Amino acid sequence: MRDRASQQAALAALGQRALSGADLPGLLDEAAAVAARELEADHVAVLERTRDGEGMLARACVGLPEGVLGGVLPVEPDRLARDLGAASSLTARIGSRFGAIEAHSGEPEHFTADDAEFLDGVAAVLAAAGERAGHEDLVRDSEAQFRELADTTPALMWMTDAEGDVTFVNQGWRRFTGGTEIAGVTFASSAHPDDREETVRLWTEAMRRREEFSCEYRLRHAASGGYRWVLERGTPRFSDGEFVGYVGTATDIHERRTMEEALRASETIWRELADTAPAMMWTTDTEGAITFVNQGWLRFTGTTFQEEMGQSWALGVHPEDAETVLSTWDEALAERREWEGEYRLKHHTGEYRWIHDRGVPRIVGGTFVGHVGTAIDIHERRTMEGRLLEVYEREHRIAETLQRSLLPERLPPIEGVALAARYLPGARGAAIGGDWYDVLERPDGRVALVVGDVAGHGLRAAASMGQLRNAFRAYGMVEASPAEVVARINRLVMSGVEQVMATVLYLVLDRESGEVAWSAAGHPPPLVIAPDGARFLEGGRSVPIGAADPAVFREATAILPPGASLLLYTDGLVERRDTPLDDRLAELAEAAAQSGGELDELCEHVIAAVLGETEPGDDVALLAVRPLPVADKEISLTLPAEPGSLAQLRRRLARFLHATGASELEQYEITLTICEAAGNAIEHAYGPGDATYEVEVSFDAGEVTAVVRDSGSWRDKRGEHRGRGLRIIEDLMDDVAVERADGGTLVRMRKRVGEDRAA
Amino acid sequence: VTAPAEIVLDHRDDSVVARISGEVDMSNAAYVRDQLLASMPNEAIALVLDISATRYLDSAAIEVLFDVSRRLARRRQELRLVMPPDSPLRRVIELTEVHTAAPVYDSLEEALS
Repeated sequence: MRDRASQQAALAALGQRALSGADLPGLLDEAAAVAARELEADHVAVLERTRDGEGMLARACVGLPEGVLGGVLPVEPDRLARDLGAASSLTARIGSRFGAIEAHSGEPEHFTADDAEFLDGVAAVLAAAGERAGHEDLVRDSEAQFRELADTTPALMWMTDAEGDVTFVNQGWRRFTGGTEIAGVTFASSAHPDDREETVRLWTEAMRRREEFSCEYRLRHAASGGYRWVLERGTPRFSDGEFVGYVGTATDIHERRTMEEALRASETIWRELADTAPAMMWTTDTEGAITFVNQGWLRFTGTTFQEEMGQSWALGVHPEDAETVLSTWDEALAERREWEGEYRLKHHTGEYRWIHDRGVPRIVGGTFVGHVGTAIDIHERRTMEGRLLEVYEREHRIAETLQRSLLPERLPPIEGVALAARYLPGARGAAIGGDWYDVLERPDGRVALVVGDVAGHGLRAAASMGQLRNAFRAYGMVEASPAEVVARINRLVMSGVEQVMATVLYLVLDRESGEVAWSAAGHPPPLVIAPDGARFLEGGRSVPIGAADPAVFREATAILPPGASLLLYTDGLVERRDTPLDDRLAELAEAAAQSGGELDELCEHVIAAVLGETEPGDDVALLAVRPLPVADKEISLTLPAEPGSLAQLRRRLARFLHATGASELEQYEITLTICEAAGNAIEHAYGPGDATYEVEVSFDAGEVTAVVRDSGSWRDKRGEHRGRGLRIIEDLMDDVAVERADGGTLVRMRKRVGEDRAA
Repeated sequence: VTAPAEIVLDHRDDSVVARISGEVDMSNAAYVRDQLLASMPNEAIALVLDISATRYLDSAAIEVLFDVSRRLARRRQELRLVMPPDSPLRRVIELTEVHTAAPVYDSLEEALS
């Protein structure tokens, strides 16, 4: 005999393994083994839909012939069961896309409804794990691709966020400077002290206008122990029109600078030097005709010295770049000033390569004698920049999709509470943060609310947020104490490989009594907005999740005054560099107190008042909740005529009866009698199809009246059991009447309440 | 939705203690009955059913108590109930005369002695 408790325990263990980050293949194997054992099945198979959707790949098997594992089956229900000649089978879909898990038995009617429920549970665990593995693959792929690209280029590369803080430098940069500095430090810290101020000034200026930026300065060079001239160039990055930072490169132009200095001393020395330099160099006369190109230039173009003389150099410029190059050059020549351009020049191999070319006017004895120029091959850098931007934008899009899929615009409706939520992406950086909110109904009838903020931005933060959100959903269901939920998740996070840090406010609300219990892990306090003003709920504060283990997590409780609302938020709403936190909190409380009416209005008002016109620096999540008083003097329900509806009916009755002031015993007895009458209706309904029954309950002048109506007719006493049901109804209620009419039965019952308590 | 009930079994020397928590109604009563009957080895003399943590029992659940008592009696085994005096279930248990089929004790200790 299979044991339901054992199935539940096995399911819980599997869920725990999935939550603690077991690898997907291992988890699939384990799921197959657990299912085979708990279902006493002859075979179990976990099937994953192939990428093209045309087949089902057998990912894990128990008891199946060799060759099935790793094979692809056609997408056909029960195909495997038929092929194997199983007498009975059970199948559960894994998520909406992933696939299915199947169990077979040689015995007919082997599986029970409990078995089906168990297998659904296994499938749900696998679906969540599969989805998560998918997200993690995306994160890994995208980041790995980015780093690989950046690290294989010989160029020196860096990236910043929207505030100009460096978030990434590649291996090339680290090798060059010998520095280990990576994040947060501006690159100018490795600049020569004499150049630093000017570099920072130019950089800040460009940043403010979000323009391309380029400057030359001396950068620390580890191999020589000194400094080398580099050309630094930054390109602003935009995503969906939003500025997200810069990507930049530095090119070693030390030789060019040295050459320019040499030229000032003597042209002869310069020409000698030029021919030994690897850079491409040239000089022109006052009309702009080429008078000299060095060996480096000829090596690049594969032409001869004579061919390059005069105006012919322009012939090698890519047709698409020619117009810009020639017009800017003509202008510079006419005004006898410096000229600079990036363009594609025909290489001796026949392909066009990007070069950076720069000419400066030569003044000899106060007279302009022409330009001297140096060009550097920047082809790798140019192509790399394009690819990096592509990768970066892809990452941003994935993060955004992930965030959207995890934060539903519309909260699930929960009876007895009004809810509203907002999410505002921050203006900075990758813009996608790790803020989230969530609401769920606990089995004990209380409502759990979460607002959290995962440290960091981008894809990884969004993925971590998804994992934490799932962890709260899981632990929130089984664990009643907020501090314990937070502590368990902290343990989970600390035992994981990934370093995750998050602030979280987890709160459980009793809709009936207005009692709230919460734990604030490094998170700002929730705000209560009562008719007579707004105040913060202090207490229950602890360290953030992922900060320490073991850590002590506290919880606190309070009672919400009638009609009060609660506002949970992330610190993006109240944190600003220029104002102390306390002032911002006071501002928030004041704004919330002034807002009346609906929760949507409250959210909008608070956002407008606290953030004003400015875009939030960080992302912001808001969650507002208000327990709705049971104002109804009556309830009226139409329920499906099946036993499963009774649990739902009891929960609805519990809320209603609690509000009448009935004692616990009275509540139980009224619930029992109504459900007994409903049980009769269910047993006598015509078939299980779409039959329904109706329940109406009202409360007036200390008396509860209930009516249960169905469309069937009660036969007299079908055995002792039904007899007991009627006996219960008659004995526990003050007054019972059964009417048979219109092919249906109506039971009307009345009972006075509140007398037990008074007694 | 099936009413959630959980049964925890504890095999003592000559009896089995079954604690039922949650709710038992017509949607899961048959399941509860099967579990209880399956939990009894031949050599046990009593099944002690502790309903202190049971939040809800309806007439289908009461029927299960009578049924289990009857079936155990045929195997010369006894069903005993544990229910604290202040349990909200008490009136229903008395009303339906469950005590005629299974003696009712105030505590587990009393039921086992």
